[in-house]
Amino acid sequence: MNPGTLSGGWNFVMAAYGVTFSVLFIYGVSIVSRLRQESKNDE
Amino acid sequence: MIWALRKELLLQWKTRTQFLAVFVFGATSLLLFSFAVGPNSEALRLYSAGFLWLGLLLSSTLTLAESYHAEMENRALEGLLLLPSDPRALYYGKAVANWLQLALLGIGLVPVMVVLYDAGTTDLLRLLAIILLGTAGLSAPGTLYAAMTSQARAKQTLLPLLLFPLIVPALLASVKATSLVILGDPMQQLPSWISLLAAFDAIYWSLCGLLFGRVVED
Amino acid sequence: MKTTAPAILLAIGAYFGFVVAVAQFHGMTAFALGLPSGAIATLAATCGVAGAIWFLFANDQVESPRPAQLLIGLALLCLGFGSYYGLFVAPPEQYMGEVQRIMYVHVPTAWNALLAMTLAFVCAVIFLFNGDYKWDSRMEGSIETGVVLAFLLCCQGAIWAKPTWGVWWDWDPRLTTTAVLLFAFLGILALRKFVEDPAKRAIWSAVSTIIAYVDVPIVYFSVRWWNSLHQQQSSPGTVSKQFWLPLRLNAFGILFLMVAFIMLRARIASLRLKHEMAPPLPEIAELGEAV
Repeated sequence: MNPGTLSGGWNFVMAAYGVTFSVLFIYGVSIVSRLRQESKNDE
Repeated sequence: MIWALRKELLLQWKTRTQFLAVFVFGATSLLLFSFAVGPNSEALRLYSAGFLWLGLLLSSTLTLAESYHAEMENRALEGLLLLPSDPRALYYGKAVANWLQLALLGIGLVPVMVVLYDAGTTDLLRLLAIILLGTAGLSAPGTLYAAMTSQARAKQTLLPLLLFPLIVPALLASVKATSLVILGDPMQQLPSWISLLAAFDAIYWSLCGLLFGRVVED
Repeated sequence: MKTTAPAILLAIGAYFGFVVAVAQFHGMTAFALGLPSGAIATLAATCGVAGAIWFLFANDQVESPRPAQLLIGLALLCLGFGSYYGLFVAPPEQYMGEVQRIMYVHVPTAWNALLAMTLAFVCAVIFLFNGDYKWDSRMEGSIETGVVLAFLLCCQGAIWAKPTWGVWWDWDPRLTTTAVLLFAFLGILALRKFVEDPAKRAIWSAVSTIIAYVDVPIVYFSVRWWNSLHQQQSSPGTVSKQFWLPLRLNAFGILFLMVAFIMLRARIASLRLKHEMAPPLPEIAELGEAV
């Protein structure tokens, strides 16, 4: 390995992926639930 | 446009006590900033330009928000728009009036800064130019946003919310240029900051004038 | 049908984006049809983005949730494979080590956040010219999705900055511009919340969107000048094929997800608008009886 290489950092990688997918998931769920509600109001 | 400017200036002259109150607010905030740093005259001098512009920015939300007060009473804005004139004239009149008021405020705050932070400069001409350019950058989008927020709910919150992120480049350039004037400019960076400010002003003075007609139409 | 043309574009983008990248990754260069990799990337990106946006505009006013479901399925597929490759298959980078793997979600998010803001700007301009409210709904969807992506981008940027530069926040022009953009567009969402009149709300938010979008390059350059005394950050240098595959897969994944979100969000906005514009006669009658 290169001496200048950053070693480790898996926790940061996991944090970044975790944040990304959980935020996208939560936003998706919120959109779908809002859409359900609006469609119900529409009728 | 001239009549619009005259109307605004007349109005501002009639409410000059309010201008005085805004000035006192700005001076008070300058005083408070020094408590945030502590009695360290070296650091205060270093950050004086930032404090000056932050004080000016905070006071500007007060003047800008007030600037449509007269139009909102008795639906005067609609009456003005019925006149056979371009809404652009209305906008530029108001923006120039706001600009003059803010520039005056900035000039008034400079002695306060000199006294409190020991941040004097002999290059008053450049300082004046920076204050004029910087406040022009605040007043062009500020006047446009104030036209919207003065008709909305929660106007006190909305105006800074919309305006502050937008004027980041103008604030950055003004602070940097002012501190170069105060602390000295060994690397001759001042012209590039002033041209950035001028570019910001040119873009927003033309763009906001173009869009203002759509904002006030009914 | 309206959906055929964008679907063809999407398919071309997908072919060059994934199939070729996967084939190259495993050493089967024949699938690339002899094209150089720069051309493939450009072709895939152009076809993919154009097809996705076309698909969005053709389908955001339809009642059926089918198109959005399709896109979300595709997105999950891309993101699943892309993240698998990015996390476990691609080798660690020479200098950044494992931390480099953040790039595979970070860069696609950045591209798509900027794309969402650009879409909002385009919708705002079109709305101001033709006054059709479906562009207002599309703008609302794009702004909100763009804000979510910009928020994600700031979080990922902070997580990236900590191990590489030792601080959570670095005044890097890109990160700072994203933050400014996030707050500017949050302000527009707040404006939309506080104005009840649909016509005023649409025009004002379109005007604010144009003004905020024009600010982006100015903020970027001013922050870059301001920060010029700091070291310029090192870019990941030459990006080899092994790094391209997860990057491209995730970029398409987030693109599809973003398009589906904007589609559904625009649908919500137009339903709300229909509700607001409808003559509120029954309510008034009920109120009269109550009084």
